[in-house]
Amino acid sequence: MIRTLGLTKRFPPTGRKGIEITAVEDLALEVKQGEVFGFLGPNGAGKTTTVRMLCALIAPTGGEAWIAGHKLGPENGAIRAKVGILTETPGLYDRLDAVTNLSFFARLYGVGDVQGQVAKYLHMLGLWDQRAELVGAFSKGMRQKLAIARALLHEPPLLFLDEPTSGLDPEAAHLVRDFIEALRGEGRTIFMCTHNLDEADRLCDRIGVIKRRLIRVDTPAQLRASLYGRGVLVRLRAVAPEHVAVVQALPFVREVRQADGSLTIQLDDPEANNPRLTRALVSAGADIQFIEEVEHSLESVYFDLIAQTGEEAAT
Amino acid sequence: MSSQDRSQARDRVPGPGLSTDAAGWHRVRTVMDKEWAEIKRNRAILWMMALLPLLLVAMVLGTDYFIIRAEAKGQDTDADEMPVPEQLKHLPPVEAFLVQMNEQYMFYLFLIPMMLPVYIAAYSIVGEKQTRTLEPLLATPVTTEELLAAKAIAATVPAVLLTWLSFAVMLLGLRLVAPPSVFFYGSRPVWILAMLILSPLLAFLSVLCGVIASSRINDPRTAQQVMGIFVVPIIALSLVVLAGKIFVNVQMVLYAAGVTLLVDVAALYLAVKVFQRETILTRWK
Repeated sequence: MIRTLGLTKRFPPTGRKGIEITAVEDLALEVKQGEVFGFLGPNGAGKTTTVRMLCALIAPTGGEAWIAGHKLGPENGAIRAKVGILTETPGLYDRLDAVTNLSFFARLYGVGDVQGQVAKYLHMLGLWDQRAELVGAFSKGMRQKLAIARALLHEPPLLFLDEPTSGLDPEAAHLVRDFIEALRGEGRTIFMCTHNLDEADRLCDRIGVIKRRLIRVDTPAQLRASLYGRGVLVRLRAVAPEHVAVVQALPFVREVRQADGSLTIQLDDPEANNPRLTRALVSAGADIQFIEEVEHSLESVYFDLIAQTGEEAAT
Repeated sequence: MSSQDRSQARDRVPGPGLSTDAAGWHRVRTVMDKEWAEIKRNRAILWMMALLPLLLVAMVLGTDYFIIRAEAKGQDTDADEMPVPEQLKHLPPVEAFLVQMNEQYMFYLFLIPMMLPVYIAAYSIVGEKQTRTLEPLLATPVTTEELLAAKAIAATVPAVLLTWLSFAVMLLGLRLVAPPSVFFYGSRPVWILAMLILSPLLAFLSVLCGVIASSRINDPRTAQQVMGIFVVPIIALSLVVLAGKIFVNVQMVLYAAGVTLLVDVAALYLAVKVFQRETILTRWK
C-alpha cells in the first residue's frame, strides 16, 4: 500500500541567515495492505513532513514513493483521491454545521451519494443528533470525531491519522481507538503518527521509529526482543547462590539478574527453553512460586532507540 | 507540454462519472458554495456588504436632493462659483454643479469593488489559516488553481453585483430626485462602460491583493488595510474631476481599464506564486 525508497525532504533556507533543513532523510519503508502502522518519533522528527509527502501535499526533494498503487509526483491527484487524512488539528469550518462541513468535503472528493455517506458516518460516530449544530460549538472530542468522519467519506483504502487521540478525554480517546480497530477489521491500511506509546502498542501491527532518518521498523514484540531479548521472571521462595549458578550454566541463557526473591532471566526462545530452565532450577532445590514473561514497555523501547540515535550522532 | 502543464495535469483527477474539466468545475462550484455559505453566517462581512453601497448611494442622492431643495428655496448653494469643464458650461449653474458632483461620486462607487472583495478574501483565506482548514482542504483532489479561482470568484461576484446594483439604484434615484440633465449625464454610456469593465477588474485586483496579503498576515483587518494604498488614487482622481480639470470620457475609461488589467496580471502572477500547496503548508504562518 505504501512503498518509499530514499524519500528525502529538505527545506530551502529562508531569510538571509537561514540554513537548509533536512526534515526527512533517506526513508525506506513498506506498509502492507490492511496493516496498522505506527509512526513514532520526537517532535520535529519528520513525522508530519512524511505524512504530508505521502499524502501528496508537499513534494519530496529526493527518492521515490508509491501510494495506493500510484507513483508520488506524476499521479498526485489520484493519490489524494485515494487517501484520507486526519490532520494534527481537526480543521473544521466553525460557522458551518456538521452536515455542511462533511458534504463540502464529500463533494470535493467526488463522492456519488453525498447525503448517504454523510449520514452513514454521522451515525457511525454518534454525531447524527448534532448534525445541524454549528461546529464552532462542538467539544474537542466531537470535533475530532467529525474530522475522522471527513477522512473516511470517500472510503479511502489508506488512512493517515496524525495524533488521533491527542487532547481527548479518556472516553473519547477510547471511542476513537475502538473506531480504529473497526477500520482495521474492514481491511483498511492505517498509517498513524502518535506520541501515545501505549496506544501504538495496543493498535499497531508494526511500528516505525523516526528521528529524521528511520531508526527501526518492526512489530512491537520484535522491537522489544531485538533490543532486550526475551525474558522470564521466576519468583522463588528463597534465592540461593547455587540457583543463580545453575541458571547461568544453561547454554540458552544470556543474562541473569537477582532481586527481591526473584530471578530475571534473559534467554533465547522461551517457548522451547522454559521447561529446561524450570527442570534445572527444581533439580538445584529451588522452590518455584511463579513464572511469568517479562514485558518491556514500548516506552522504554522508544526511549532507548532514540537515545541510541543520539549517541550514534555524537560519536 | 510545459512543466507547468504537466504539474496541473498530475494534480487533476476526475470524480466518478465526470470528465477532468467537469470535475474541475464541480470542485470550483463546491468551494464557491462553501464560501458563500460562510459569508452568509459572517456578520462582519454582511454588514460591510450592506453598509458600504447604502452609504455611497445615500451620499449621492442625499447631496443632490438637498442641493436641489436649497436651490428651490432660493438659498445660496455657491453653484455658480464652481469651476466647471467646457462640456457642462451650457447647463444652468446648479445642474452643472450637480453633474460635476455626481461625476466625482461615481468614482466612489468603485470603492465597492475595491473594498468588498479584499474584505471577503481576507476573511476567507486568513480564516482558513486560523481554523487550520487549509491542510485537509489541500489534501482533497482540488488543485491550487481551482481553489484560487473559486475563492476569487466567490469574493468578486458579490462585490461586482453590488456595484452594478448600487449604480442602478443611484440612476433610478437621480431619475426621481434630479433634473433630467443630471440623470442624462449620470447614465452616459461612459459610466455604464466603466461600471461594466472597471468594476470586475478592480474587484479582481482587490481579491488578488487579499490573497497576497493573507499569505503574510494573520488578521483579516490587516489585509484589508492593504487596499488603502489602492483607494488613494481613486480619491485623488475624483478630486481632480471635482476641480473641473478633467471630464471623464470613453478613452479615459479604456485607458484606466488597460492599466488595471496590467496591474491585475502582475498581481495574479504574484498571487499564484504565493498560493502554492507547498508554500501554503510550510511557509504560511
